[in-house]
Amino acid sequence: MSDFARQQAEFQRGILDGDDTVLSEILDSPREKRETLFGVYRYAYGSRLVEAMRNDHELLHLYLGDEMFDEMGHAYVKARPSAHPNLRWFSQGLPAFLKSTEPYATHIELSDLAALEKALNDAFDAAEGRVVELNDMTGFAPEAWSGLKFQPHPSASRLDLATSASAIWLALKNDETPPDAVALEQPAHLLIWRQDVTPMFRELPAEEAMMWDEAANGIPFGVLCEMLATYDDPDSTAGRGAGYLHGWITAGLLTDVSVGS
Amino acid sequence: MNVASRLPDSAAAALADRPATSAKPPFLGFGLGLRHQHYDEILGGNPPIDWFEVISENYMLPGGQPLRTLDRICERYPVVMHGVSMSIASTAPPNFEYLQALKDLAGRVEPKWVSDHLCWTGVHGKNLHDLLPIPYTKEALDHVVSRVQLVQDFLGRAIALENVSTYVQFNNSEMTEWEFLSELSRRSGCWLLFDVNNVYVSAFNHGYDPMTFLNGIPADRVVQFHMAGHSHMGTHIIDTHDHPVCDDVWELYAAALKRFGRVSTMIERDDNIPPLDELVAEIARTREMAEKILPAKQTE
Repeated sequence: MSDFARQQAEFQRGILDGDDTVLSEILDSPREKRETLFGVYRYAYGSRLVEAMRNDHELLHLYLGDEMFDEMGHAYVKARPSAHPNLRWFSQGLPAFLKSTEPYATHIELSDLAALEKALNDAFDAAEGRVVELNDMTGFAPEAWSGLKFQPHPSASRLDLATSASAIWLALKNDETPPDAVALEQPAHLLIWRQDVTPMFRELPAEEAMMWDEAANGIPFGVLCEMLATYDDPDSTAGRGAGYLHGWITAGLLTDVSVGS
Repeated sequence: MNVASRLPDSAAAALADRPATSAKPPFLGFGLGLRHQHYDEILGGNPPIDWFEVISENYMLPGGQPLRTLDRICERYPVVMHGVSMSIASTAPPNFEYLQALKDLAGRVEPKWVSDHLCWTGVHGKNLHDLLPIPYTKEALDHVVSRVQLVQDFLGRAIALENVSTYVQFNNSEMTEWEFLSELSRRSGCWLLFDVNNVYVSAFNHGYDPMTFLNGIPADRVVQFHMAGHSHMGTHIIDTHDHPVCDDVWELYAAALKRFGRVSTMIERDDNIPPLDELVAEIARTREMAEKILPAKQTE
């Protein structure tokens, strides 16, 4: 290893691990000791990353307050040093960290809240895609409908929450006192996407969530309606399926509809 | 080991120092670092700003509002790209995925030039997201020259590198920062982004005269000035970019104008972002000072 490489490794260890070896290669300045000057880099490292997390998780920050959020943020920084050159992706692992790390794992709404914010952030700068309009559907002959396949817009994603985190998110967003966190008997099925430039989410009935997931897997409309029949009144499945599809198209959730092979 | 040292003499000579021969980028006037807080005001009005510098990483994204806004800015204004993650002085292998994303963005933006910093941001697969200092040694110079040449070949364009604010100096340095930058530019052909505030900050922190730095930089290699504010801690200065430009830095800017002449200049604010009017007033001051100090034809 070259001197230069060794010195960079020591400098990095000095910042990440508090190892003082590199100080022997650093000069005091005319006005300040080297420990204090190197401390500028040590302090900036944690504070910059936690600041990035505050920006990405504005409502989790609001929910936890400054002190708890920063404590959690520094624990995340320590546990998961950044490996990506773009700070945008640093906090991507936060939901998993909160789910698996005490004392945060005990408060299960924290992981859900972080996951919802992450999904909205991801929708905000997701790839562009054509948006299917209702008019596009008039080109399909009635007999073709059972074979139609649907491609979600690149910004669309699904998230299942085990807690009332979406209600907490909504209250915080509206500057209201958040409700108590509760574990749900059945998971809340959320669909997240970007409409023009604005990230959105809405909660789906269980059968619509199933239909969306299977549509995204390439299952054609006719089969989707058969699957809906297992959830509710079999006689109204075509109407329910068409209703959900109408909602997806008017919300800008689909980027392509095609006749499947 | 330098790759060139293991090749036959003729090939080694060809690969050694290959200054880029690209023409010096144009003078753009007096500009601003684009920040999202000002998107609507810029696109909805016609503020007296000649050009914008964008932080490359803020737009190295799949899509959405940031890129759409950038496209609209590019339709109206000259734009330059300024990165914070190239890590040109890192001893770790270059991140080619990052460089490809940077090249792709440059293809979209068609910037007047692409810049980053003379620094490193991490080794061993970690990124510290800071502009970390280097020792000014011959070994480091050889390493950075070869990295700049590689990046310029990869991107297909000469880059500009900025002097960073530093808080420490290494005891094994063999030359000054300005000697390092001058030699780097001469040997690699990279341009220099002269951050007036950073010169002031580093000079204070290390106890030298900023004029010595300024006079040690080759005038024909400087393509851009940065002007920014900082936080004074008494015994040292931290480059926070969250304050207006201070009087001492304005004074150094005047000296930079006298030495370097007509150079594209911009106000850089990264935190505590004020209303656009305040920054436009600082831009106006950069313009007024240039008009006062330089011959009339140089600021047109």
